[in-house]
Amino acid sequence: MVTRDSDSHDFPSRMTRIMRLRILIPALLLVAAAGCDSPLEVTPGGSIPEATAINDGPSAEAALVGAYASLRSLDYYGQTLPTLPELSSDNAEEEGTRTENAEADDHKLHADNGFVADMWAAMYDGINRANEILTRVPDIKGIDDAERNEILGEAYFLRALHYHNLVKLFGGVPIRTQPASSLADAASVTRASVADVYKQILSDLDQAQQLITNTDDTRRASRGAVFALRSRVLLYQQDWAGAVAAADSVEAMGYSLAPNYADLFDAEGTDTPEDIFRVIFTAQDYNNIGYYYDEPDFGIYEVAPTVDLMQAFDPNMDPNDVTTYAPTDLRGQWSIQLDGDTPYGAKFRASAGTEDFHVIRLAEVMLTKAEALARLNQLTEAVAEYDPIRVRAGLTPDTLGTTVIDTTGNVLDTQDEVIARILDERRKEFAFEGDRWPDLVRTGLATTVLGISPDQTLYPIPQREIDVTPGLTQNPGY
Amino acid sequence: MKRWSSVWIMASLLALAAGLLAPSAAAAQGTATVRGTVTDSATGRPIADVQVLLTGTTRAALTNATGQYTLQNVTPGTMTVRTQMLGYAPSERQITARAGDTTVVDISLRATAVQLSQVVVVGYGTQNRSQVTGAVATVTGADVANTPIASMDAALQGKAPGVQITQNSGDPGNGITVRVRGAASVSASNQPLYVIDGVPMQSEDFAQLGPNAQGLSAVSGLDPNEIESITVLKDAASAAIYGSRGSNGVVMITTKRGRQGSTRFSVDAYTGWQSAAKKLSLMNAQQYITYMDSGAANDGYAPDELPFDASQAATNTDWQSAIFRTAPVSNVHLAISGGSDRMTYSVGGSYFDQQGIVMGSAYKRASARVNLDFDATNRLRFSTSLGLTHEIDDRVTGDNSLDGVVTNAIGMQPFRPIYQSDGSFADRSSNGLKYSNPVAIASLWNLPTTTDRVIGNMKADFTFTPHLVLTGRVGADVLNLHELQWQSPLVGNTYAAGAGGVSKDGYHTGDKYVLESYLTYSRGSEAASNISLVGGASLEYNKDHLNFVRGEGFPSPQFHYVENAATITSFDGIPAEHNLESYFARANYTYGDRYLLSASLRADGSSRFGANNRWGVFPAISAGWVISEEPFMGDFGRHLGTLKLRASYGVTGNQAIPNYASLGTFTSATYGTTAGIAPGNFANPDLKWESTKELDAGLDWLPFGGRLSIIADYYHKMTSNLLVNRPIPATSGFTTYFSNVGNVLNRGVELEISSTNIASSSAGGFNWETQFNISANHNEVTNLYDDQPFGDNANFRPISHVAMGQPIGEFYVLHFTGVNPQTGDAVYEDVNGDGSITSADRVNAGSPQPKFFGGLGNTFSWKGFELHGFLEFSQGAKVFNLMRIFADDGGYHYDNKFTYALNAWKKPGDITNEPRASFDGTSGGDEISSRFIEDGSYVRVQDITLSWRLPTSLTRLPNAKIYVSGRNLHTFTNYTGYDPDVNSNGSDSNIALGTDYYAYPRARTITVGVSSSW
Repeated sequence: MVTRDSDSHDFPSRMTRIMRLRILIPALLLVAAAGCDSPLEVTPGGSIPEATAINDGPSAEAALVGAYASLRSLDYYGQTLPTLPELSSDNAEEEGTRTENAEADDHKLHADNGFVADMWAAMYDGINRANEILTRVPDIKGIDDAERNEILGEAYFLRALHYHNLVKLFGGVPIRTQPASSLADAASVTRASVADVYKQILSDLDQAQQLITNTDDTRRASRGAVFALRSRVLLYQQDWAGAVAAADSVEAMGYSLAPNYADLFDAEGTDTPEDIFRVIFTAQDYNNIGYYYDEPDFGIYEVAPTVDLMQAFDPNMDPNDVTTYAPTDLRGQWSIQLDGDTPYGAKFRASAGTEDFHVIRLAEVMLTKAEALARLNQLTEAVAEYDPIRVRAGLTPDTLGTTVIDTTGNVLDTQDEVIARILDERRKEFAFEGDRWPDLVRTGLATTVLGISPDQTLYPIPQREIDVTPGLTQNPGY
Repeated sequence: MKRWSSVWIMASLLALAAGLLAPSAAAAQGTATVRGTVTDSATGRPIADVQVLLTGTTRAALTNATGQYTLQNVTPGTMTVRTQMLGYAPSERQITARAGDTTVVDISLRATAVQLSQVVVVGYGTQNRSQVTGAVATVTGADVANTPIASMDAALQGKAPGVQITQNSGDPGNGITVRVRGAASVSASNQPLYVIDGVPMQSEDFAQLGPNAQGLSAVSGLDPNEIESITVLKDAASAAIYGSRGSNGVVMITTKRGRQGSTRFSVDAYTGWQSAAKKLSLMNAQQYITYMDSGAANDGYAPDELPFDASQAATNTDWQSAIFRTAPVSNVHLAISGGSDRMTYSVGGSYFDQQGIVMGSAYKRASARVNLDFDATNRLRFSTSLGLTHEIDDRVTGDNSLDGVVTNAIGMQPFRPIYQSDGSFADRSSNGLKYSNPVAIASLWNLPTTTDRVIGNMKADFTFTPHLVLTGRVGADVLNLHELQWQSPLVGNTYAAGAGGVSKDGYHTGDKYVLESYLTYSRGSEAASNISLVGGASLEYNKDHLNFVRGEGFPSPQFHYVENAATITSFDGIPAEHNLESYFARANYTYGDRYLLSASLRADGSSRFGANNRWGVFPAISAGWVISEEPFMGDFGRHLGTLKLRASYGVTGNQAIPNYASLGTFTSATYGTTAGIAPGNFANPDLKWESTKELDAGLDWLPFGGRLSIIADYYHKMTSNLLVNRPIPATSGFTTYFSNVGNVLNRGVELEISSTNIASSSAGGFNWETQFNISANHNEVTNLYDDQPFGDNANFRPISHVAMGQPIGEFYVLHFTGVNPQTGDAVYEDVNGDGSITSADRVNAGSPQPKFFGGLGNTFSWKGFELHGFLEFSQGAKVFNLMRIFADDGGYHYDNKFTYALNAWKKPGDITNEPRASFDGTSGGDEISSRFIEDGSYVRVQDITLSWRLPTSLTRLPNAKIYVSGRNLHTFTNYTGYDPDVNSNGSDSNIALGTDYYAYPRARTITVGVSSSW
């Protein structure tokens, strides 16, 4: 085409020009064809192909790191798991503007509550990350067995933790132990019974117990963490003797209470001897817990303490005048502060949200053991088990048959009184950490303390989940 | 296959380069001259500025003030001389030009109503309106010029039938929602493809920070004064030439080019004042305290337990007035154009400066444009279009934020002060403010967003023969967006206060490069049968790259930049790309100016789609029949006026989804300081484009000798293989997945009428013209995966959903049936009859989509005066006034309330629609329900402009005009928020539509201006 056009005109130097073109054109075409190779095949800048993502030791280790990272989601330990159940309990009330929180506070959660749905998804995201490891890592090459076993063991621990968090909030939930192979596979799940979920949790903990060797890094699953979680799980299952035995295993490992309660909420996450398993938060991957509770400094005061909780810390305060709040309990002094006449949760004080969050710590194991002992009617042992926690909080230790527990002069002596005393200690020890609501539910106190119906003690299965999973049934009342 | 497009394009570019080397035909052979005079057939007076073209060549000239034109160096032979001029019917004459001779061709033009004589820009070419067989809408540059708003797309509102514009919010530079013939997509973008001077441009929102939940507008960089015309390709047959991006319609923007003749200067300048068009009717301190206390009393609080005391009403702050201001807006546009018969140029620049009506917001734009056309040889013509823009958008925190300026001005209790007694800003700790102080936020925080952009292309047309032209084009759209946010710690009770200040700094660059070439063959015969063929290929490369860093903790509030931060709390840096390889062809055939036929085909390969479905083919066919020209119509045909019947059918696609949605991936997941990996995306190798099949039937009718023009269309548009980011069981570890499921139907009618009601026969007499358009669209979801509905959160609240048989975005909430006269409680319908009100009781409660919308413009002129008025209307859309969940909740939140809450139930027996005040929320008034859904119908006095063309006796400047103009003067509506034309979820939102969550209000603007050219 080009040459024909040029040929039609008489031009003195056309031969040289045409010859130049004849060399130039193929050369440029080659360059063009090479330079424009397959514009439709693109590689994402920030991700890698799924098929080969986990195929050797370092990538398996990276996948385990990623599995831990699921815990730090704001939909999980980073915000919702500590704060939403706290609103459902008698510890906290909604002060801000989020409808999701108001629904929890008012005990009228809707099935489409976004926080509930996102928390559910975050938990299953964590399960899927563990499942990817548990499915792929047994078969990969180029990894020694010790490393392989450690990775698998920690993944089993994480899966057990996720399922326990699910079952205590939602009841029986679908059990997935493998990544979904297809959408049809994903949609085929149905709810397992509560008992079956616990069976899965204990089976995973058995595996973890066999495989994990870590004993010192409290930001990863350790042998101590496995037994600590087991004691918690068995307490929920009312296997009192089992809970005591698991707690004994933990206590034999050399943990001790942090001398100062406030050290547990250190902005830098400095280690304490009480730490068993923590979720890491950094300035980049921060938690929003303090942001939700703080009022004067950096927070949005979305969630406020109830007067009822303040009275738990300071029975002498005037409930109609919060400025009279002056607890001797050091935990009360640390956990709730006043800005003028406004009380706010002050437990998490790092404005950047950098406190590592305690998933489980020695104080819980001790209170679990104390409660299990009390349920077994070993009251003296129970009181002895929790008294160090009272002492650390600046309170006088309890003595069975002597300690006065109310204004009428009643003394601590019955099993019910000891159990109530322990639950009260749990409430104060873990205030604003999201433990009060599951405690009220598992002990059956939620209906009496909060005046709600039994149906309201389980969170709704997220509506979006029911919409896309034909076999999934809703909890009653939603 | 893959490399053919690049081979073809490179070969074409080389051919064009060779054309540059080829000798000028003029040098070797004798040439001819064509000249003549163009006059008005009615008055006999000469007409200036008529474009005279030789068809099949690139040669064109423009008539001068005495109507004369000259075309020199014309290749001898038989050719067609064609004229084009707005307001006149086009004309064509066959002539024979001989070497060395001058051929005189005098032409007389018949005036018509504007609509049918326009040149419309279609993909890869232009067409005369009379030849068009698809559905296209055109808006002239004059219609959008000198509009005192930042973004040109907003100026289209009400102007083009079938094109629905939603302003979303009133902040300067805000992203606008543009929907051509309804929204079809649920998860892929519904915004049209913008093509500027033939090259597709980037129209995504590149902003990384969304302080308003309102994105930026990528088309805001274009000064409306630079626009010659805008053509909207509406039906699939017209848009199918853009294949996999045509489903949402195509907006073709043509910028002004130079015309042959002496140098022409023009100046357009205006300055104006904006103010809030409306203030919300909120309670004053006294009303608020009384209302809140009554809510506490209703809930059983004893008189001494009431939350507020009447003495607190001593302070009464009008927070709205505190943040609103009268804000100036101005624009200056200067341009120079002209040229010889071988080269024309248009060079212009403008500066637009707008302050927002809300403190702290502003938008500035400096832009320049250079458009050149020149004949390198007689056969080779180069055209360059180059636009440079620099924009600075000062955004204020708004909408979806606890620190929103408008948000907090509405929510703040009226008895709280703005300032402390020492003059510093009031805050929560000292003054009990429930939210951060909006005046402090607007004063101390800032978010300047700078956009630098180059959009340009270079085009070469090589004329092989008068019938065959090869066009090659290289285009680029390079955008660099820089966002810099400073949140001062001096605003009490904000996160920034506790953190010692927060600074964010982000760059986002978006580059698009387009290489394309096509051959155009056109041949007309004496027997009036014409054929034109276009075929070619294009390659588009899109790359973007972003960086972001956020730091907090500053030594003092004087430090604002990340370098001085104690801690980096977040960072990012990632490239992305997507590419498109395409082949296209189109054939147009006309016979006897009665029968018009057009067919096109495009094949697109997109990197966004799955490996199994990479290529899509998009065919279209259309036909027109000018029935009035049929001989059998005889005299009746002449009396009837030109009547053309059109029908078209085409297939278009939509590929506007994330770049890597089809791939199964792992992504990074850092834990502490250790890098890890985690599943990222559930693979779908079958992912493909969304497909729209559209049938259009229409007519163009010019009765009364063209004084009336009627364009009417009916369309039926079925979109299938909907690209849906579909919810999947979260138990899989993933919550959504892009797949092709579902169908959406849009069908509707459009009518556009232009009328010259009174046309004076003498110059300076009284003239009256009317433009009217109205469109109705029915939007319905006709198929979904397993018929499963799914919702979307509007501002964190699930109120909108997609469900079978409903329009996209139907509100889905509890049904408020009234207020119990005995208790004053809100009553909701217990749909499933289980005795309790739960989310299972939600109902379809109204559609955010209007039943019909349009515009009505009238222009009166007499002597040098012209009065133009434009009404814009929308009927039947519902608005979810979401701020009422705080501002009309009965008192559960401390926010200030709308005054209509004072009509609340007070005692048994009261009949009212306002639930009783309730401090603890026991009345149910705070439930999200249909109670907050309002009628969003409106009629807006969009524009009234009075201009006066100065007589030459007064000024030396010819064509000087001064004007005064009012924009958004009044809106007739029952809506209780600021403006019913709203969506707080921004222009990218497909499902959450029509929600007002503290949207920035629209300004009312008065401008005075001057235009002159000489």
